[in-house]
Amino acid sequence: MGACEHFEPRIVAFLCNWCTYTGADLAGVSRIQYPPNIRPIRVMCSGSVDPMYILKALLDGADGVLVGGCHPGDCHYVNGNYKARRRLAVLSAILDEFGIGRDRVWFRFISASEGALFAETVRDMVATLKELGPNPARTLWLA
Amino acid sequence: MKDLLVTVGQDGRTQALREFLAKLLEVGAADALLVPAEAAPGTITHVLARDVGLVMRAAEPLAPVMPVNAASVVSEVVRKGPRGRVAALLRPCEMRALVELVKLKQAAPENILAIGIDCLGTCDPVAYREASGRRDDLPVREACRVCLNPTPSEAALPGITLGFIGLDSTDGIVASLSDGLDQGLAAVIEKLGLTEGEAAQRKRKEAVQALMQERRASYDAFIKNAESAVSSSGIEAFARELAGCTGCHNCRVACPLCYCRECIFDTDTFEYETGQFLRRSGRKGGLKVPQDTVLYHLTRMNHMSLSCVGCGSCEAACPVHLPLFRLFAMASRRTQAVFGYPPGRSVDDELPFTTFREEELEPR
Repeated sequence: MGACEHFEPRIVAFLCNWCTYTGADLAGVSRIQYPPNIRPIRVMCSGSVDPMYILKALLDGADGVLVGGCHPGDCHYVNGNYKARRRLAVLSAILDEFGIGRDRVWFRFISASEGALFAETVRDMVATLKELGPNPARTLWLA
Repeated sequence: MKDLLVTVGQDGRTQALREFLAKLLEVGAADALLVPAEAAPGTITHVLARDVGLVMRAAEPLAPVMPVNAASVVSEVVRKGPRGRVAALLRPCEMRALVELVKLKQAAPENILAIGIDCLGTCDPVAYREASGRRDDLPVREACRVCLNPTPSEAALPGITLGFIGLDSTDGIVASLSDGLDQGLAAVIEKLGLTEGEAAQRKRKEAVQALMQERRASYDAFIKNAESAVSSSGIEAFARELAGCTGCHNCRVACPLCYCRECIFDTDTFEYETGQFLRRSGRKGGLKVPQDTVLYHLTRMNHMSLSCVGCGSCEAACPVHLPLFRLFAMASRRTQAVFGYPPGRSVDDELPFTTFREEELEPR
């Protein structure tokens, strides 16, 4: 597909309650502008995001999935973010192997005080997904 | 590691192995022996044998079929106490699956006497039954043709390794006792009247090396072929490979490593309302039903491919013969490479999902 001017990617975002969700909230109250392409889902920990949720979103037509967790050492549950990183690494390998591509799934550490980083991440992700074009699974009746 | 020799008499290897296994039972090396047995001509099942006579009559330690991956059966038998030692005759892929199950706390290693045995491949159990066990001309399964582990990993679980690759009947069968084997048990086994097996072991190891070169070449060609068919063509090609899936989930049942006691795909999560079906099919223009085929297989890959031992039980269990071994081999090769994790090598290797390092992967 390549770049497409009228294509607005849909991003499902699984955001950790303690850090990234609060960071997104800070971006809002700080009136930082960022594209309205994300559909946030608050989760208690990035470590609770089973790859199945991400796959479900992608196969149902999300163009990208963002998982946001606490910085290393900051996890409210001690090490959920480290475990998420391992699961996401496995998921990425599988996405690459079967033609979805790891670029559609982003895992980022964004703290509660990093509203600006959250906004910047969303901007970057939207730009990347516009380059990638729509997720082919969206209109694939077999998936 | 101590190499002994099981001599093979006029009645052949099967009989020699039956005698060896029966002796293990007789001298109390184990309370029971789990071994493949012939139930009817060509029908092989596992039996948890306690009667020496049954072992001598029915045990088929060399039958070239794997009715189920024995790791699943062993796990079922030794998951809960009270204690008793079960000797289990295991192919290399069964041994490796059992090591993974031990790490997943679904088998108690103290209850197992693992007897690994060389494996040159198995054929389709249905074809074997239809041929009434005449084994010579049956094709070996794809999973076995490209198997990179024809010999059991000797350090996997304390026990015995039976080796015959490269040996003919006059050479006998090598029985090596692993270093971790209980001293008392080792002493009992050494008194079974076995002879010295070092020379035969050397011969076997040379043959194994040559075999591994062939296998490596077959595996590389297989992966190259598989990837050119699927990886480069996007998700649609992958979905087409799986399009015949009936949603029976037999692959999951047959998989020794799909370890959840209750699978999420059997829960209410996947009981959709009519409106959800209609919304999804509206968005896509149509919807394959039974639905969630791709989600199911990709999720299984995410959950268990790190531990996948490539036994091909999933494909053997598939009623519509989907190329599951091929797809899971592609996935597990990639995921295992992420952590350099060799499933089934040793109970001391950490399961990647149960641990982490602070400095690794991305993001940091």
